[in-house]
Amino acid sequence: MQTLRLVLAVAVSLALAPYAAAQESVRIGVVQPTTGPVAYDGNIYVNTVKMLVDDMNAKGGVLGRKIELVVEDGACNPAQSVNAAEKLVVRDKVVALLGAFCSTSTAAVMEVAKKHKVPLITGISTAAQLTEQGNPYFFRAVATTPMLGNAFGGVLPKAVKAKRFAFLVLNDDWGRSMAASYPKTIENAGGQVVATEFFQQSDLQFLSQITKVKAANPDAIVLAANTQQAVALSKQIRELGISVPLIGEGAWTSDSYIKLAGPASEDVYGLVEYVYTIKSPINEAFVKAFQAKLKENPSKFAGAAHNAISIMVDAIRRAGAADPEKIRDALEKTDYNGIVGNIRFDAKHQAYGQTVYLAHVKNGVPEVVETAQIAKP
Amino acid sequence: MSPSITILAQHLLNGVLIGCAYALIAMGLTMIFGVMNIANFAHGEFYMLGGFVAFYLVSLIGLNYFAALPLAVVVVVALALVLQHAIFRRLREAPMMTTTLVTIGLSIFLENFALLLWGPQPQSIPTPFATKPLSFLGVYTTPLYVFCMGVTVALIIVGHVLIRRTRMGKAMRATFQNKEAAALVGIRIDRIYAYAFAFGAALAAAAGAVLGGFIPVEPATGGIVTLKAFIVVILGGMGSFVGAIVGGLVLGLAEALGAGYMPSGWKDAIGFFAVILVLLFRPEGLFKRA
Amino acid sequence: MPEPASYRVATTVVLVALCAVPLVVHDEYYLHLFIVSGVFVVAVLGLDLIVGYVGQLSLAHAAFFAMGAYTSALLFVRLKWSMWLGLPAAALVAGVVALALGSVILRTRGHRFIIITVVFAELMRLVATNWVDMTRGFMGLPGLTIPALDIPGVGSIDIASKSRFYYVVLIAAIAAFVLCRVIVRSSIGRKFVLIRENEPLAESLGISAFRYSMIAFAVGAALAGAAGSLYAHYVGFVSPDLFNFSYVTIMLIMVILGGKGTLAGPALGAVIFTFLPELLREAAHWRMIVFATILIVATLYMPKGIVFPLVTHLLARQGRPRNARAP
Repeated sequence: MQTLRLVLAVAVSLALAPYAAAQESVRIGVVQPTTGPVAYDGNIYVNTVKMLVDDMNAKGGVLGRKIELVVEDGACNPAQSVNAAEKLVVRDKVVALLGAFCSTSTAAVMEVAKKHKVPLITGISTAAQLTEQGNPYFFRAVATTPMLGNAFGGVLPKAVKAKRFAFLVLNDDWGRSMAASYPKTIENAGGQVVATEFFQQSDLQFLSQITKVKAANPDAIVLAANTQQAVALSKQIRELGISVPLIGEGAWTSDSYIKLAGPASEDVYGLVEYVYTIKSPINEAFVKAFQAKLKENPSKFAGAAHNAISIMVDAIRRAGAADPEKIRDALEKTDYNGIVGNIRFDAKHQAYGQTVYLAHVKNGVPEVVETAQIAKP
Repeated sequence: MSPSITILAQHLLNGVLIGCAYALIAMGLTMIFGVMNIANFAHGEFYMLGGFVAFYLVSLIGLNYFAALPLAVVVVVALALVLQHAIFRRLREAPMMTTTLVTIGLSIFLENFALLLWGPQPQSIPTPFATKPLSFLGVYTTPLYVFCMGVTVALIIVGHVLIRRTRMGKAMRATFQNKEAAALVGIRIDRIYAYAFAFGAALAAAAGAVLGGFIPVEPATGGIVTLKAFIVVILGGMGSFVGAIVGGLVLGLAEALGAGYMPSGWKDAIGFFAVILVLLFRPEGLFKRA
Repeated sequence: MPEPASYRVATTVVLVALCAVPLVVHDEYYLHLFIVSGVFVVAVLGLDLIVGYVGQLSLAHAAFFAMGAYTSALLFVRLKWSMWLGLPAAALVAGVVALALGSVILRTRGHRFIIITVVFAELMRLVATNWVDMTRGFMGLPGLTIPALDIPGVGSIDIASKSRFYYVVLIAAIAAFVLCRVIVRSSIGRKFVLIRENEPLAESLGISAFRYSMIAFAVGAALAGAAGSLYAHYVGFVSPDLFNFSYVTIMLIMVILGGKGTLAGPALGAVIFTFLPELLREAAHWRMIVFATILIVATLYMPKGIVFPLVTHLLARQGRPRNARAP
């Protein structure tokens, strides 16, 4: 009798198994800095993805299944990000990865993605080498600094009415590539680079560098910095008596920057991949939902998150199965229209075709004053 | 004035501003070292806490800026006294490794506690000063910078007077020089310890509160400040107040001038090279113990 | 002093268990943690020599670890040297730098020594970050691989998989342990302890604290450098993050809480404090607060550490019945 019961139980479980599998959710892993120096922006990213996934699940999920997000903290530390990614892939069995914010961490996580053959998409990391490694599982859904430079450099002299440009940038790959790529297009448009200064990630006072920049007498200063340093830079630049326009890549038009920098944020220009004042139906809906749920305006990191998760889910849908290989193949054929326009990937899995924006902060609101389209590299 | 002189003057002014801050922080560190023989790895955290508490007093409670600064210092001093009573009192005769490990542990504790409480976002304290820069012969500063310098210089003078002129100061210096003799003479060592630790913490917290107006404070700031303070103290001589003051100014000026005329990436290395030079040629530092 | 029988039994059991790990544990995640623990065992044994045996608190150890990692990585990327060459090179470079640094600072005592080790570590971090032409600064050096094991006559064995690389790390950890044991039990080791306990007496006996500190410092650094090389090739990249103070902290915790001045203590500490943070992943800030509190409390009240005394206590209790038979 016991044996019969056991056999029946097993038989029933086996019969029901396919249904159980169908109910199983589609797991997507997210590696982001929820602690550490860029935790504020990392948390915005995570919260945006969560908000969008909840919305997608309310509309039926993907492939008739619910999307399940598993978030791990990479803290923008390569070793920690690798641990996080390993855990997501090996233990949580995610079929896709989003991450990891900072380029060095993304570079590290890329290796994990390749090893375990799981597609990885980043909406934020802009270091040029990432797409030069020939990693078939890595996709970048954001324009790199050189691409932004090509798109906007020529526009700047006219847009800010300046001829002499000084660069004050972060001493890492991002800042250095900015200082290397923008000058060409600026000079082609009749401008001139008069000074280039660097600062460290841990610096919070920049008086020396600002003084040196001042000595070169620029008409405009181009900067690369994230929120915390952008705020300090803006204030200190104004405090040292420099009143020329500031043009920044990074977090220069986000709510947190404008709030923290206060009057120093007036008249600042942002070279951004996303800004909440973009006029399009998709974006306006997104901004409204974001404001309702998270009580602030979406920054470029929120925009990046929107792109990353939307493109990934779109690929899963087109793949027809929650299979990492199929999703990877589907990603290559992406032709996605979202909050920043049309995005496709080139042979190196670099996104192109999207619109990028020059935003100008007036009365605390970053209005779009110029747009450009990212050309296929 | 010719442009290059103006720029030089600007660099010098920047250097003095930062140097005064270094001096103030290092004075506190050297006090703790001199009296208690403890290398306080958590010193930078007092700076950080001073900044954060001041920020919260001003921005959340809406307290007047000039009242918030001293109050922030008082809060940090209270914390320091608690720590002194709970932990450091027991470490009077402890070996150096023990006390150092304890301060390292404390530093990690306070930094992560701050992270938990306030998050990683850097905050700068809203000040009532006009933001328009003041200029004099082409050299720029702001009312806030002037205030910072004024306060740090005033505190340095006050500290100096306290050590040299008051009875408490004399008792502290006596303990510095010879603990057993001081105890024999009737000086209450426990009390001196508490005063020294509180004083050291107060100076660091004051620096944090005052500078927090233009240099944003975040939990990780503590570590950087501690390192700078140690460099100054090594340069100036561990246990010498004059050394802390001179060392602080020297470091501030060297960094400003170095960054001004060399690739700025190596600005922080200046301090380290200076330490190596001192070690090679004058290990006790510029000044002997006061 | 002969070891109690229970100690020998325990050691054998542990060794057998360690060898069997990849056969029993198939979860790649846990194997990963074992491998990282093994790397840290090598590193903290080196730290223990200077902190536990000689009694000098060096905060530069993590910098030697990172330096070894970078050396190995640079040799791989620029000269195509495999890990088999990179590892000894890393150990050598770290050891030599330690000798150079030590010759300048080991005559200093007290707080100044400690602070200077911190300054040195920071300087190394600055170099790694700013010498972009050499080290690629923040971007780090990616693409490091684990080489195959070429045995002449047998062929090439791929050891890159986690279960195979585990054995490489296990051998390294055992080798480090044996090396330290030999040193510690020799007259050199006895002199270390004498210097720690009573430096003036040692000096009066003609034992130069400076010379023996140098030995501990250099050997310790070389071990850290070797560990760094293993870590770099395993993880696949290096970046200036390796110079963060957090590595110093965790290594100190491993040594102090494991039991400084013993060998098994820090080794156990390395394993426990690699697994523990991962298991406490969720509570990131609380985790560090808890560790910091444990560090303070243990330093104050448990100078022999937590792990080792606990283990020996348990072993001693088992040994007692046998000893009771002695007349």
